[in-house]
Formats: sequence, C-alpha cells, structure tokens
Amino acid sequence: MIVPTRTRAGGFLLYETMIAMTIFSAISMGLIMGFISLERSLMATTNFATNHTDAMRITDYLALDLRRALSIESTENDATIVIPSYYDGAGGPQTPQLDSNGDVFYGTSGAQVTIHYFLLNSTIYRQQDAAPPARIAENVSDFIFNVTDLGKVATTKITFKPTYVSSGASVAAIEGTAVYNTVLLRNSRIDTSSSVY
Amino acid sequence: MKTNLRRQENGSALLWTVLVITVLSLFATEVLRLVSGRFQLGLQAAAWQESLMAAESGIDLAVVEMRKSLYPAPNHAWEDWENIPGNGVVSHGLTTIPNAGLASTPMTIEVNVDAPAQLIDPSTGWQYYRIRTLGSMPLTGPPRIGFKKEDNHLRKLTLRVQRFIDNLFTSETNSPHASRRLEAIVAPLSSFEQAVFSVGALNLNNQNIVIDSYDSRDAAKSTNGLYDESKRQEHGLIATNGALIQAGNAHIYGDVSTNSGTVTGVANVTGVQRTDFYQDPIPVGEPQWLSINPTPSQVNGTATLNASPTKGSIMSRYRLSTLSLSGTQTLTLAGNADGSPTYIEIYVSGDISAAGNSQMVLGPGVRATIYFMGNVDIAGKGVMNPANQPANLLFYGVHSDSSLARHVNLGGNGQISAAVYAPEHDVVVNGGGSSGHVFGSVVGKSVAMTGVTNLHYDEALAAGGIINNYKIVSWVEDTR
Repeated sequence: MIVPTRTRAGGFLLYETMIAMTIFSAISMGLIMGFISLERSLMATTNFATNHTDAMRITDYLALDLRRALSIESTENDATIVIPSYYDGAGGPQTPQLDSNGDVFYGTSGAQVTIHYFLLNSTIYRQQDAAPPARIAENVSDFIFNVTDLGKVATTKITFKPTYVSSGASVAAIEGTAVYNTVLLRNSRIDTSSSVY
Repeated sequence: MKTNLRRQENGSALLWTVLVITVLSLFATEVLRLVSGRFQLGLQAAAWQESLMAAESGIDLAVVEMRKSLYPAPNHAWEDWENIPGNGVVSHGLTTIPNAGLASTPMTIEVNVDAPAQLIDPSTGWQYYRIRTLGSMPLTGPPRIGFKKEDNHLRKLTLRVQRFIDNLFTSETNSPHASRRLEAIVAPLSSFEQAVFSVGALNLNNQNIVIDSYDSRDAAKSTNGLYDESKRQEHGLIATNGALIQAGNAHIYGDVSTNSGTVTGVANVTGVQRTDFYQDPIPVGEPQWLSINPTPSQVNGTATLNASPTKGSIMSRYRLSTLSLSGTQTLTLAGNADGSPTYIEIYVSGDISAAGNSQMVLGPGVRATIYFMGNVDIAGKGVMNPANQPANLLFYGVHSDSSLARHVNLGGNGQISAAVYAPEHDVVVNGGGSSGHVFGSVVGKSVAMTGVTNLHYDEALAAGGIINNYKIVSWVEDTR
C-alpha cells in the first residue's frame, strides 16, 4: 500500500504539468528576449567600440599629416594635404636645403607630396601622390569626417551612426559620437600668410 | 532505490554546473579578450602619442640651448651635451624624463643638432640648424599587436625586436616601446623683426601715428631703396611683453601683440591683435674684440673715425669711454669717397650725447654699428644718415649688471633713419625731423614716441643685425 502511494506522489497531474510548462515558457521567453536584447546591446556596443577605434585611427592619420602640412584643401569626407617631400626615391630622408628666399625644401625646390583622404564605397582611403590608395578604415559608410583649416591650426571632426536603436540614430546620438582634434600646423604655410608659432 | 535516485540527481547537477560554468567561462573569456585587446590598443596608442610629446620636447630642449647661446657669456649653453653644433659638428643629448602617467614609465628623449652646409642662407650668410629627435616610451603589458592591420600600419611599435635601426640614435632597444622621430629646421631671427618691440610699456603718444613697412631690397616694395607710400607693406608689427599698448589712435599696417594685455587707441589694424605674445629680451654682451684701433679712446669734439672696406677690421673697431658733442661739433664716420661699402664698429662704454647744433654724420656707403653701455641723448642736428637706409646705422644697448635706469633719447632736427636695440634702456624717439617720419626699428625696455607721425619699418632690417632668437621654419615627422 505504501509503495503505490509513493509512486503517485512522484508524478505530476496534468494541470501541474501545464502550470509548470507555462511558467517555464514564460521564464524561457523572458530569458530569450533578454538574451536577444543583451546580444543586440553587445553588438551595438562592439560596433560602437569598433567605430570609435576607427575614428581614433582616422584622427591620428589626419593629425600625422596635418602637423607637417604645407597646405590643406577639404570638403566633407575629402581632404587633400600637401606635405614636404622628405624622402628620396629609395625611401631615405633627404638633407634639407634653403632656396634663395631662405625657405626650407627637401629634394628639389618646390617638390611636395600630396596626401588625399576620401571615403569610397564604405571605405576610407589614404592615397599618397599616385600610389595605390591604402585602406585606413573599412565598413564605415556611415562615417562623416571633416577637416577645417583655421590658418595656424586645423580641426578634425569624425562622426558615425551608433546602432543602439533599431529605428536609427538621432542627430543628437550621431553628434554624441564625434571625435574632435585640433592640430597645430607646424610648417610655414604655402597657401596662407600664416607662419609657425 | 533512494540511493540510486540520489546518484542520478547528483550527476545531473554536476553536469549542469560544469555546463553553465563552461558557458560562462567562454562568455567571460570572449569579453576579456575583447576588453583586454581594446585596453591594450588604447595603452599602445597612448604610448605612441606620448612618444610624440617626448620627441617634440627634444626640439624644445635643443632650441632652449640655442637661445641660451645668444646670451652674453657665461651662458652655460650646451652644457652636458657632447658638442657645440656648427660647422658640421653634431651635438648629441640624451635625456630621460620621469613620467607620472602610463605606470610611471619614463620617457626617453634623444636629440641631435647639426648645421649642414646646405642650411646657410645665401642672402644673409646665417646658419640654420637641423634638430633631429627621437622620443620613446616603453610599452607596458604583453607585446601584442592590435586587432586591425590599419592600426599597426599607423602606430609602428617595437614589440619584440627593434623595429627600426639607423645610425643616428642609439637609445632604442629590443624591449617593447613606441618611438617617434622628428626633424625640425630652426632659423635665426634678427633683433629687428618688428617695427617696435617694448619689453614693458609701449606708448606711441602721438595722435594718428602711422606704422607701416617697406623693403629697401625689393623694387616692388620701395622706390630706389626708399620708402614709397604707394608701395606700402603691412609688416609694421608692434609688440610688447607687457600688458598695455597706448597707441594714440594709431593706424597700424601690421599686427599688434601684447602679453595678455590690452591695446588702447588703435583705430585701424590691418593685421591681427594677439594677446599671447612674449619674446625673450636677450641682452647684448660687451663686444669681445681681441684688437681695436686704439685711437681715439674718447670723442669730446669734432672728430673723424674711419670705416674699413673689410667687415670686422681691427682698424675700424673703436672703443671709446665717452662720445660727447656740443655746439657745432661734428663726428664724421668716414668711408670711401666713391660710396662703396665700408664698415665701422664703435663701442662706447660711457654715455653718448649730441647737443646744441652738433651732429653725427655717416659718410657715403658707411655701415655703422654703435654699442653703448651708458645713456644716449641725441639732439641738435641729430644723426645724418644720407642714404636713408636704417640698416646702415645700428645702435645696440649693452647689458649691464647694474640696476640703474638707463635711457636712449633719439631726436634732433635731422631725419631719423636707424635701428635701435636696447632691451635694458628706456627708449624715447623724439620728432623725426620736420616731417615727423622715422625709418627703422625700435626695441627698448620701454618705448615712447613723441612728435613722431610716421614710423616706416624697413623689412631689410630682419636680414641683418644681431641674432636674438631662433624660430622653427620646417617640421617633419619621419614615419618610416
């Protein structure tokens, strides 16, 4: 008599099972939704971090060339920076020389190197003279970079669209991603009357 | 039965526990991998930026030594460096600077300064200097490259083996570090870079004074080497290390600069008004001439001192205890009759004065440089500079350890055409002849102008005079 009682006690009635399944389903659904949200958040955060890293890299590339710039031309997502022709054909540094006006040049007087930054097909490139353009950031179709020439300094601003909200980033959210940088132009400019320091 | 059931439950719990821990561990590992990688990237980027600051500090260290070398001896320039750069000699300095950031890792600055023959200005003969620096910062953490090759192409780091070896710098090792190399070219600057520079107060007094510039070397900026209003230039810069310029409704064709100060009475400024100006008023030392023309030792009446066709000739170097003219006395600085260039240098260890109807006269072609320790009071007929070239008459106030106030009062009935560099003297420019026009440049401890209606700065002065500063004119980063 005792054994059958124990056997019944170990099982579940239908309504018990249904309640348990309902609770389990609800918890599972919550967990799955939470997991999906967490994953989306992780993806958005990873995307933000990756984009921010890209923005920092683009900023550093631009700063590298702006510091030694002789002249600057820029529009949105396009910047042309002229720098001294420091290297010879073999890639070694050249000895500086002075022209008749006391201006410094490398190689031959008037020799320059043109660096072109541009966004094309979701990739930002850096091209030096006629050499093949080098990728400096990929999958950045939502990036906007601007170089503003202020004479003795130049500022750069880079923004992208964060993906935290599926309906799209607001203007404020995009503005919040901006990476700003101000660079002192060390060289005497050939396109303005401003000079060093 | 119970025992068997318990064994099954225990096994299931263990399995689930291991599974959950495994999943969590994988999750944590991935998160750590992502986070530590980005942290490492951030750390490396910071070290890379810091190494640029180190390299730029190297340029500053070299420029400081160069500026120190401009001071009268002993100036302690280039102490603890290998050599004094110049004439092909390379100087080398190595400095380690404690760094509070980045785990207190010290930054290393290595500097080379030389003076290549290619960097001699053909127009002035002045030597430019090349400063090459290496700034390096140790990298903390594991020697690991970044996720993306683009980062590695930009920030070139030494992680296990020294990435870049040249024959110039020796401080780099195989240990993980970031390094940046810079090359700056530094040009000497004349003591006459501005139309007016005052260490302290600058008072132009006169209403509507016009300050502009011309270039006596350039036919497009002058006529027959003389000022031409129709060819007026806009390099009539006025500046003070002080906080106040009283311009008296001036019209400035150039920039106006103060040291966090204000400018009053400026009606028109064609350039910019800066408030971040400071320039070291580098003193002029007593001339260290090994030999001089011993006679005369003083001038107290009409006299003639002869210039020489050879610059720096012993025969045209005079050391006078005093130079005093009065009545109708005349001091003539005589050159060649044909007006060919001749040079004369005079050091007056006492005062210079010209009163009554006395005057000083430069002969044709004479380039005079007059150093003075005491006061200068020039009135009477003033100084006659017939070619009206300010570069032909340069006055330098010599440094004194005395705290006694000294002054320069430059005036007289004649046209004032001269350049004055006296950063320890209070300088007053009076008149400027009947027209009130003054040609040249004025530097003083304080500067005031009385009766001057026009000051025309000759840009040719910037290519002469003594060197009293250095300026970076070219800057390149070696990105190999």
